[in-house]
Amino acid sequence: MENMGFGLNVTLIGMGLVFALLALLWLVLYLIGNIDSLPFLKGGEEEEAPDEERSEGEGTGEADALVHHEGEVDPDLLAAITIAVAAHVAVKRRQAAPSMRKTVPGSQIFASRWVAAGRTRQTDSWTHKG
Amino acid sequence: MHDDLGKLREMREKALQGGGPERVEQQHAKGKLTARERLALLLDKGSFQEIGALATHEVVDFGLEDQRFPGDGVVTGFGRINGRRVAVFAQDFTVLGGSFGVIQANKICRIQDLALESGIPLIGLNDSGGARIQEGVSSLAAYGEVFMRNVLASGVIPQISVIMGPCAGGAVYSPALTDFVIMVRDTSFMFLTGPEVIKTVTGRDVGVQELGGADMHSTKSGVVHCVAANEPEALEQVKQILGYLPQNNHDDPPQVAPYDDTERMDEELNTLVPADDRMSYDVREVLARVFDRDSFLEIHRGWATNAVVGFARLDGFCVGVVANQPMHLAGALDIDASDKIARFALTCDAYNIPIITFVDTPGFLPGVEQEFGGIIRHGAKILYGYSAATVPKISVVLRKAMGGAYVAMSSKQMRCDLNFAWPSAQIAVMGAEGAVKILRGREIKKAEDPKAVEKTFIEDYREKFFNPYRAADVGQIDEVIEPRETRPRLIHALEVLRTKVQLNPSRKHGLLPS
Repeated sequence: MENMGFGLNVTLIGMGLVFALLALLWLVLYLIGNIDSLPFLKGGEEEEAPDEERSEGEGTGEADALVHHEGEVDPDLLAAITIAVAAHVAVKRRQAAPSMRKTVPGSQIFASRWVAAGRTRQTDSWTHKG
Repeated sequence: MHDDLGKLREMREKALQGGGPERVEQQHAKGKLTARERLALLLDKGSFQEIGALATHEVVDFGLEDQRFPGDGVVTGFGRINGRRVAVFAQDFTVLGGSFGVIQANKICRIQDLALESGIPLIGLNDSGGARIQEGVSSLAAYGEVFMRNVLASGVIPQISVIMGPCAGGAVYSPALTDFVIMVRDTSFMFLTGPEVIKTVTGRDVGVQELGGADMHSTKSGVVHCVAANEPEALEQVKQILGYLPQNNHDDPPQVAPYDDTERMDEELNTLVPADDRMSYDVREVLARVFDRDSFLEIHRGWATNAVVGFARLDGFCVGVVANQPMHLAGALDIDASDKIARFALTCDAYNIPIITFVDTPGFLPGVEQEFGGIIRHGAKILYGYSAATVPKISVVLRKAMGGAYVAMSSKQMRCDLNFAWPSAQIAVMGAEGAVKILRGREIKKAEDPKAVEKTFIEDYREKFFNPYRAADVGQIDEVIEPRETRPRLIHALEVLRTKVQLNPSRKHGLLPS
């Protein structure tokens, strides 16, 4: 009976420690995941860059509208990003950049013997006279 | 060993400095970059492998013995552009004005030879005051070595020249022998003889830019294929042109992953050509709707504007595009347009790029100036270019295809593989008014109401000939298609023609009408 009691105590203490550590780990992970939205950190940021210290024109008007709506993307900003990305892709495509290419440079797209032999004959003006 | 390394590092450091900080500052003040800055913009980061960095001249006359700079005014080597191997040389204006001497020529010739043997494109960035006078005839002979190699490499590996500063006298012939010439506006110029010589010989005052600036060469002389507002833009254009070219004449141009619907049919095409055949339209609108979105890269945009040529993509594959432009001279073919089309057709043929031709031309441009200027031999170049080309060729007659111009513009007899026509096509020997005067002149004169009779005859002629069906009957047109079907039709036609092999008779070379 004494052994049974000792066994139960050890089990309870062991399981308790494990669950306590798991709970601590969960708390740490939660804090890391939400570190941006912690109220005291937000307050600190605001203190670092108060409105009155901003230079003229900086962070006013449209720029404020773009960054101050948390969780929302301003439609104008979204449109500008979309256009910039599309323009970038178009330029890369014209250059046949690696990310846009389907075939490796230096290859024959239809690497058939027919084409390879044909091109050799097209560019070889020498004819065998023998 | 330690001292040897120190000396090498010192010489390398000196080579990197070009003509020195003062000269570099002067170069920047002109709005120009140095040779190494240009190469850094052109090539993939960290890909440049220089050769001949320490070569210097051995001239001991005219004080040159004190002006020895490692590299001798040109930076040469290999690199990558978008992962593609290329050979490059960049003349360094900060070193003795980039003047062209024997050592510089040796370096350029070496890179030309290696590029040709390796089958990779060669890109030259030109910024040189001309031949190094102190080296006498040797510098002239050195030019000849470069020109000869330009010719040997022509049509084998793509050669692109960028004019980023002075390019005068004999130096102009190297870029002129290359496939594409790009010029930077305001900071560069090209001419055989400068304003001072012209003033002396002819008495005419002319400015440097007026005589040899980018705008002149891109609109009047046709020497330049593309103009850039600044140097980074010019280097960007090199990358874009290269994106449509293969590594050499045995390879295919790179194919990009298809991004536009293969079966896309643009309904706007059905109404784009005006019903009244005297009304013009912009053929670029047609091209924009047929080819892959935003893929058209126009070459020679400002010169011979009655014809449009350039590269585009169809289902990701590169194609060459030739089109008449009804907005200028009604799309008639004149001397410059003939040269432009012929040259482009031959360029496409050299690099295995299929040619798609959009025809809307009332014929060759009539006029005394054109005849005196040799429209016959210039027009013949189009016939030569299309006939000699063995790449897949497809034509689409949009509206007018008259007389000799019909034959020249990728007709069946020019070995065109597939000829399509829109229902608006008018394929005839000549225009209705002219034809009726020849065919029915006497009857019209004798008629009580000549104008009414003439009108009747004209309508009759139009009814008979101003459509594509007569040509389709006799096999000159393979298929009359709805304009909106053009894109899928071209894509499927090219699918079949992709492996086309056609041989020309064995010969040393043909004789292009000149």
